[in-house]
Amino acid sequence: MSKQEFIESGILESHLMGLANEEERQLVAEMMLSDQTMSEYVNDLELNIKRYFAEGSVPPPEDVREIILLRSIREKKGRSSSDMGEPVYARQYLDVEVNDTHMKVHKLWRPAFIAVFILSKIFLIAGLYFYFKSVAQQEEIERIKTEMQLNNK
Amino acid sequence: MNELERAENGLDGSALSKPKTLTSLEVYDQYGAMAYGIILQILPQVHLAQEVLVSVFSSPQLQSCNSYPFTFAACVIKLARAKAVEAKRKLTALAPVGADYANGDTSPQSIFDLAFRQGFTPEEVAGKLNISKSEVLRSFHEFFKSYRNA
Repeated sequence: MSKQEFIESGILESHLMGLANEEERQLVAEMMLSDQTMSEYVNDLELNIKRYFAEGSVPPPEDVREIILLRSIREKKGRSSSDMGEPVYARQYLDVEVNDTHMKVHKLWRPAFIAVFILSKIFLIAGLYFYFKSVAQQEEIERIKTEMQLNNK
Repeated sequence: MNELERAENGLDGSALSKPKTLTSLEVYDQYGAMAYGIILQILPQVHLAQEVLVSVFSSPQLQSCNSYPFTFAACVIKLARAKAVEAKRKLTALAPVGADYANGDTSPQSIFDLAFRQGFTPEEVAGKLNISKSEVLRSFHEFFKSYRNA
């Protein structure tokens, strides 16, 4: 494949956008090694592609930068503590003061809470049932006792 | 081995001028807006796009851009697209949407849109439009050529 054919094939554009397969990437590598003037063309092409995508730039919210900053600090901390031989569990969390009234719990707490709720209702109903039953029995005993006393008299 | 690493192995790094080693935040300050624009083109949901943007600039792959044979911009474009397409695939797997492409439109703009913004591989684009893969790749060249000449 000649240089011109290669340029017009679109493989370079495909490679720069991350759409090339292994074979095409290999071809790009070979072409760039075999022809040094290709570098200039690739530089121009990169600038062109960059300019195209830069035109569609959208400024992200400030918060995103803060999150990335926090994550990079965490990574640095992680790297430095791993260098110092700190145990893995010690660098799993980042100390961040969160101004939030909510908390996150493990998903397993949901069925656990449901089970506790259902059991509490069962015990409540059973408790009321046996309470009223014992009250009724107590009244029955009192009634029988009264009847027996009246019969004895 | 990811795409960036493969590219790294496949090319002579000295072929192009290499920028100095940058931190994630420096790369974000330079290319954050461009990456966010790319992600929004692929994934219009703002909150998801912001999550993807964070994942791009927190990704260990971003550090491999320091040794990437092309410029940081090219590396960020690739990474932003790859992450956004991945998120879009997850999203469409949860809630499948119909193919929203102009059927039969084989213009370079339409082909570029299918491949870059909608996340189809060149092979898939070729299949959808009943053209060869080489025509799809040539359309990329035509697309950027027409942009340059515009």
